[in-house]
Amino acid sequence: MTQRVTGQRFRQRKLSTKQNLPVLRENEVEKLPDDDAQRHIPKVETGVEKGEEIEHHLQAVISASQAAATGGKVAQLYIPTPEAVASSLQYEQLYPRHFAQPATYIRFSSTVEDCVGCPYCMTSDDMLFLKEMNQRKGRTIQCTEDEFEEVMNFFEETAQTKQPYAAVDNPPVLSYEEIETEFDEAISESSRRFAKDIYEHWKNQRLLTSNRSLMPTLKFETNLETDDSDPYVCFRRREVRQVRKTRGRDAQVTEKLKKLRKELEEARYLMSRVKVREVMARDQLAIDRQIFEQRATVKEAKRKLGIKGDDEDLINQKPAPKPKPKVDSTAVQRGIPGMGPKPQLTRPDGRLLDSDLVSLQEQLAKKEEAINGFIEENLAKHQKWNQGWEDLTWRPITPPLEQAASRSTFRPVTCQQLPTPPASVSSENSGDNLNADQDMNKVEKQNRVVVRYASPPDDVPYPDQRRYRRRKGRGGRIMVDRRGVKRPCLEPIDERVLDRHKYSGDSSEDEQLYFVDPYDNLHIKYRMMIDRQGEKAQGIAQTRRSIGDSNHLHQNHNRSASGHLLPPSNAAG
Amino acid sequence: MAPRESSHEPTSTPDPVEKGFATLATLRIGVKAFVEKDGEKRKAEILSIQTRRGKPTFYVHYEEFNKRLDEWIPAERIDLSREVEWPAPEKLEKKKAASTVSKSQPSKAETSKVPKNLKRARSKLDREISATPEATSTNLPGKAARPSKASGKENKEHIALVSTEVTDDSTPKADDEEMDLVDVQDAAAAAKAAPPEIYSREDEIEKLRTSGSMTQNQTEISRVRNLDRVQMGQFEIEPWYFSPYPVDFTDAEMVYICEFCLGYFGDVTQFERHRTKCTLLHPPGNEIYRDDYVSFFEIDGRRQRTWCRNLCLLSKLFLDHKTLYYDVDPFLFYCMCTRDEHGFHLVGYFSKEKESAEGYNVACILTLPQYQRKGFGKLLIAFSYELSKREGKLGSPEKPLSDLGLLGYRAYWQETIVDILMDGRTEANVEDLGAMTAMTTTDVLHTLQNLNMLRYSKNQHVIVLTDAVVEQRERQKAKEKIKGRRIIDPDRLQWKPPVFTASSRTWNW
Ligand SMILES: [Zn+2]
Repeated sequence: MTQRVTGQRFRQRKLSTKQNLPVLRENEVEKLPDDDAQRHIPKVETGVEKGEEIEHHLQAVISASQAAATGGKVAQLYIPTPEAVASSLQYEQLYPRHFAQPATYIRFSSTVEDCVGCPYCMTSDDMLFLKEMNQRKGRTIQCTEDEFEEVMNFFEETAQTKQPYAAVDNPPVLSYEEIETEFDEAISESSRRFAKDIYEHWKNQRLLTSNRSLMPTLKFETNLETDDSDPYVCFRRREVRQVRKTRGRDAQVTEKLKKLRKELEEARYLMSRVKVREVMARDQLAIDRQIFEQRATVKEAKRKLGIKGDDEDLINQKPAPKPKPKVDSTAVQRGIPGMGPKPQLTRPDGRLLDSDLVSLQEQLAKKEEAINGFIEENLAKHQKWNQGWEDLTWRPITPPLEQAASRSTFRPVTCQQLPTPPASVSSENSGDNLNADQDMNKVEKQNRVVVRYASPPDDVPYPDQRRYRRRKGRGGRIMVDRRGVKRPCLEPIDERVLDRHKYSGDSSEDEQLYFVDPYDNLHIKYRMMIDRQGEKAQGIAQTRRSIGDSNHLHQNHNRSASGHLLPPSNAAG
Repeated sequence: MAPRESSHEPTSTPDPVEKGFATLATLRIGVKAFVEKDGEKRKAEILSIQTRRGKPTFYVHYEEFNKRLDEWIPAERIDLSREVEWPAPEKLEKKKAASTVSKSQPSKAETSKVPKNLKRARSKLDREISATPEATSTNLPGKAARPSKASGKENKEHIALVSTEVTDDSTPKADDEEMDLVDVQDAAAAAKAAPPEIYSREDEIEKLRTSGSMTQNQTEISRVRNLDRVQMGQFEIEPWYFSPYPVDFTDAEMVYICEFCLGYFGDVTQFERHRTKCTLLHPPGNEIYRDDYVSFFEIDGRRQRTWCRNLCLLSKLFLDHKTLYYDVDPFLFYCMCTRDEHGFHLVGYFSKEKESAEGYNVACILTLPQYQRKGFGKLLIAFSYELSKREGKLGSPEKPLSDLGLLGYRAYWQETIVDILMDGRTEANVEDLGAMTAMTTTDVLHTLQNLNMLRYSKNQHVIVLTDAVVEQRERQKAKEKIKGRRIIDPDRLQWKPPVFTASSRTWNW
């Protein structure tokens, strides 16, 4: 009791663990009364179980060490333990000296299973049996210990997989036939030769151990009630408790698993459908081949017999195969949602090749059709966009000057009338243009006083008509010179002044009139065509821009349609 | 020291003991008789009786001796000239229950609470034990081995109802946290594992009564050592305690354990065959420390399940307070080896929870018996603290400690703290000492108190380097000068604290 009282005294004084305490030697503090020395050691918690704390040997050692701590001289005591002695086994043989220590720290991740080879190890009984068996066999076929173990191990493992609850339900020992059906790569060919002989031995051994595993095994949990009271049951899984612990996440996991299962099933279904498809494709190939061969025969026969006509039978007629693939592909598509058009693509390809010889022309025509369709579609779209809008920014289309220019190889004076369509455009178009021009003239007369220059006025003789010349300036700038903008004037100064005003004014350009609606179907088509023709598309656009920059005539709102309306085939370029 | 007086043995409770003379024929399990042990007569309890070569042999546990000294003895060693204590049929279970209380509950309460509130906790325990030994008994022999199911503890953990009460008394924060954890986990585990715990007393009695002999009771089996002898490496070792090796080995004269893979064989031929195939030469993990004396390997229980299971089975032979109830996944195993041309010889190891809620830096610690008393234990302990330093944490070994564990730790703590205090400093505080050594303040405090180094002088606390302690250390140093000092060199430790996801720590996901 005194010990405890002492301990309490320490506590009452409240020692702070953070506070610095002086470190002193014994002679620097007042001496404790001798008989008190031992008692002043407070009884300190040992951390040893109470029942063991009182154990004789431990107490003896503790007393001894405390005596030592308080100045007593005590011989060192040990807690007695059962003995460990040198073994009589041939250590050097069992553990040969062939380890060379690497210079660096060892890093290693192989498991015991990786390192111990065949898990079955022969017993002395096995040794005897093997010896007898080998004596019975001829010299040429001897079973090695490794082979024997391989076979035994195979038997053991097969029994384990086929009778996992052998410990509980006591089934009969597996028959040889049952095991034989399980032969796989786990048992080598050379070992298999002895399987039948070894089986009898194995069976006998199993019978001796009431059909339990021959290699002693640990007792793992069987989830029976007896588990808890069985001290041999060890290494229980902890996952079992997890279920109870996080019920919320459990549901989540279930959902995930369900989804995974669904997806796996879909994938499986998809594969089965693909298989069906490929089988059908194969069948079709076979039929096509048959058709081909029979036609060849027919051809041969016809040739021989001199029959003419009815040659249509010898080639595939177009419409027949077409609907079929469509049905198929839609069926496939319906079966697997989200699969995309891939099977569809491959199918028509194969079908086309198989059934019909496709001509290049046909293909080109199709392509053309597709492109035209695209253009039409865009046109319609464009018109729709512009519905209810009055376009005040319209400009005549910039004609492709390159053609003329290249032809004229940049001769200094090349006259051209703007915006006359180039020569490549059909006469119809130009006729339309003329009509349009006239319409414009009417409008113009009604509304404004305008300087007309875009088209040759009827009343002006040719020499007085406006003429333009395009040329390349420094740095590749494109310049357009003009002539005959005005009637020859007596005072040239006036003309120049006029000109100056004319081309420096801002407003004048808005008043300029053009004869063509750039969004007229015809012109859009025209532009499209230009773009599609040849590889100059880029060059044209560039030139056009240059013109716009350098030439006031073409400066404003040059709304190039190419950006919007290029068909996809050219978009890449 | 007179253990009997200071102990809280249930013998002090007024339980009437039926005494009388016995004959060889009337001896039965539970009887306590005087047995000759090392030239003296000791009271021992008969735990099992077997007939070997036509003669009855008795497995006895000597009172106040550690279980590792339990042994099979021939009838001649039992002194039938003296009265024996009979286990009264009706009182049998009561008696056992009471003795279990003294064994399990106090330890539970004390390990977690007492240090900070010694007096009150102890007096409370006194009260409980002396006043109501039977009412508080929820554990039965063998049942006590059941660990708390939810925790990853490797040591025995007893579900003791008394702990809640004591928590209220204890103020230290760390202890409070620990108690909360224990409460929650134990409650959860108890809810799941309730039946055997709660109904235990009556039902267990009923079960025992209806199922006949006590030896039929599996829980009794674990009280009896199951292996006679173990061969490992160059040694033959006598096991100390029960270990759940395959049941078949109970009959084997010798169990052979491969020194490298720790595989076990009941037949020498099998073992020899295994040795021709086994290619392991060191523990199957990464070497994280190497000096000219030892190497340390870090083994993940989850990645090396077989090897770690083998290691646990082996160490269970020498650790009473280890449980193999659950799998090895949540633990890391730090294995100390010596090296030669044969390979790396496992000398000892300690296991460590991947994440310990209680801040333990060691779960189980063992120097294999064939290497004991050679200073390896101190190296193991030093290494465990070196890891804690690297982690930037304070650590303490999981409780309960074994007797040998306690002595090993006390020696290490003493040496470590005295060494620091002897470096010429004039001041020290407990927390700094802890931070320098990665020891908990409790352990520092206890060490100082235990060595009578913490005193009250001139109205203040002082740390006294007593003459005895200094002298002891000097003697040790002189010895080290001759024998060479074995220490752990932190520079040779190539290790970063491993990081685990919450699930992989505990649940192997
Ligand atoms: Zn091995």
